Amino acid sequence: MSTHRHFLSNCEAAPAARPQSTSSYFSFANKWSTVVLLISGLVAIGAFIWWLNIPFIEDIFTSSAITLTMVLGFQLYMGNSGILNWSYIGYAGIGAFASAIFSMEPAVKTMQIPTMYPFLIKLHLPFSLALIAGALTAMAVAALVAWPLMRLSDSVGAITQFALLIVFNVVLSQWSQVTNGPRTFTLGGLRYTTLWVALGVASVVLAAVFYFKESPVGLKLRATRDDRHAARSSGINLVSTRYIGYITSAFIGGLAGGLFSHYILSITAASFYLHDLFVILSMLVIGGSMSVSGAFFGTLLVTLARQGLRQVELGLTRSGFEASGATEIVLAILMIVFLIWRPNGITGGEELTWNSIRRRLKSFTGRKKQSAKSQQQED
Amino acid sequence: MNKKSFFNVEGLNKSFAGLKAVNDVSMHIETGEILGLIGPNGSGKTTAINIMTGMIKRDSGKITIDEHNIGDMPAYLVPVYGLVRTYQTIRLFKSMTCLENAMMGAIGVGIGRRAASEIAGELLEEVGLGESIGLPAERLTFRDQRLLEIARALAASPKFLLLDEPAAGLNEEETDMLLSLLKTLPGSRNIGILIVDHDMRLIMNLCNRLQVLNYGRTIAEGLPKDVQKNPEVVNAYLGSTAS
Ligand SMILES: Nc1ncnc2c1ncn2[C@@H]1O[C@H](COP(=O)(O)OP(=O)(O)OP(=O)(O)O)[C@@H](O)[C@H]1O
Ligand SMILES: [Mg+2]
Repeated sequence: MSTHRHFLSNCEAAPAARPQSTSSYFSFANKWSTVVLLISGLVAIGAFIWWLNIPFIEDIFTSSAITLTMVLGFQLYMGNSGILNWSYIGYAGIGAFASAIFSMEPAVKTMQIPTMYPFLIKLHLPFSLALIAGALTAMAVAALVAWPLMRLSDSVGAITQFALLIVFNVVLSQWSQVTNGPRTFTLGGLRYTTLWVALGVASVVLAAVFYFKESPVGLKLRATRDDRHAARSSGINLVSTRYIGYITSAFIGGLAGGLFSHYILSITAASFYLHDLFVILSMLVIGGSMSVSGAFFGTLLVTLARQGLRQVELGLTRSGFEASGATEIVLAILMIVFLIWRPNGITGGEELTWNSIRRRLKSFTGRKKQSAKSQQQED
Repeated sequence: MNKKSFFNVEGLNKSFAGLKAVNDVSMHIETGEILGLIGPNGSGKTTAINIMTGMIKRDSGKITIDEHNIGDMPAYLVPVYGLVRTYQTIRLFKSMTCLENAMMGAIGVGIGRRAASEIAGELLEEVGLGESIGLPAERLTFRDQRLLEIARALAASPKFLLLDEPAAGLNEEETDMLLSLLKTLPGSRNIGILIVDHDMRLIMNLCNRLQVLNYGRTIAEGLPKDVQKNPEVVNAYLGSTAS
């Protein structure tokens, strides 16, 4: 009965959580406080930076908000299904190219990409619709290819997604009539993705990803992640549940890609490959892949760290040390360290909620009092 | 009066690489009764449950609930027709909360999230896990994990519940608790229960009927007091465990 004792002792330490009200076992208010807190934080930082009005910092924020959107879509599938989806960044690429093709003036397209199919040149939508059409294109591609891959789990699942990423990359980098092939694809228009656009989309996506996690489909997907067999015998269709998660994730990836192309204004297939996947993966791992808060704080932390490290790198290079690439190495090591010692990231897989903040504060002040007391005793 | 349902298994067969794990087993349960399925280790009890719930494919045999042919359905549709199970080695959604775990039973059969949370919450109170609603399943005691698995199964509002060694790893006191919980279910929820366990005290106190497997074959069935005296059963199984 040693296992029994072990479990018992574990539980004694655990705080008992009671339902907030007698009528409902779910505290929806506490659950949704996550979304309110995270979006308020994002908007507060964004508004402050906009008020500062320093273009360099504004650019960093805008691109981070795009990255956040990308990480959130990545979290939606990987966090809830437990499967590393390598091909995700490919959907961002599809969304980036597709939305650009939709939004560019036909005249500009003829000039920039003379090889493009005539029917693509004729397409023209306002930016907001082009962005959504780009995301839908990514989702449609996912819907077409994903079904047979969905029953594969673990390393087989990851390997097939990796192979798919290779396919996407080759197609994007070779299909001259669509993506301008290996040459740079220049949008040649306005920078539609402003600070507020990026912030707005990121906020909406954050709420949507959180809603997904708590929805019946999200719950089912999490159940398949934790125990495939128990999920199946509880009435959960593994393949269709994963499929819905996967194509939703591809949609958000496509959206993020569209924001990116209308921000950076010139793209190549290489912008949506292993390096960028590595960056968003490190954000999700360090933040904690199982929670939306993890995606948020991972993006925030890694963005700050990368900016800091980049400055150090530049400084070192200027003073004669060859330090280019050091940022990536530090990030990679950080990711490994997290995977070994804190596999659920800084958030531990939990969401930031009112209650969690209150608990944290309470235990913090409690500890302070306690240490003050013990110090007195020592004196 | 509650409508009766019937769970019928006819001539079930399953071989693993030549080994006949389940050999021409038939079984009949109706709602409101508890059938005990006993037999020595490796006699095919778990395999029979796996087949009946569609988790593994059978070689032959017929499995029905009322007029529905369960045997030809994918495993994830079986709960919808009223058949759910628990596992010998507990299988929970360990990072999800107790409430979410229990909710999955209801959501899995198509009940909406709000209704599912109500059903799950009430069930958790009923099995005595009301205090642990917000805890991740992995933080529960062994006994509570067993109870949570049962609550999850019940959340599907099943007609038939298949329990694979629910008392394994529980001490005597905990087994008594389980006994009193299980005893009420057929009456209060109008369900039929198939229970597999090696704890003969639990089995004898709980079951209306017993069926005994040995090497995948049914060697006896009937009332507990008769089965207990059956020389073949004593020889194959009870001899070593029963007093
Ligand atoms: N997936 C499998 N592949 C091969 N053989 C299997 C498989 N599952 C079960 N068996 C074999 O089938 C026989 C019946 O096993 P089963 O698990 O059904 O027994 P059981 O009655 O549940 O035993 P216990 O009381 O120990 O749980 C055993 O000989 C076992 O080794
Ligand atoms: Mg067994």
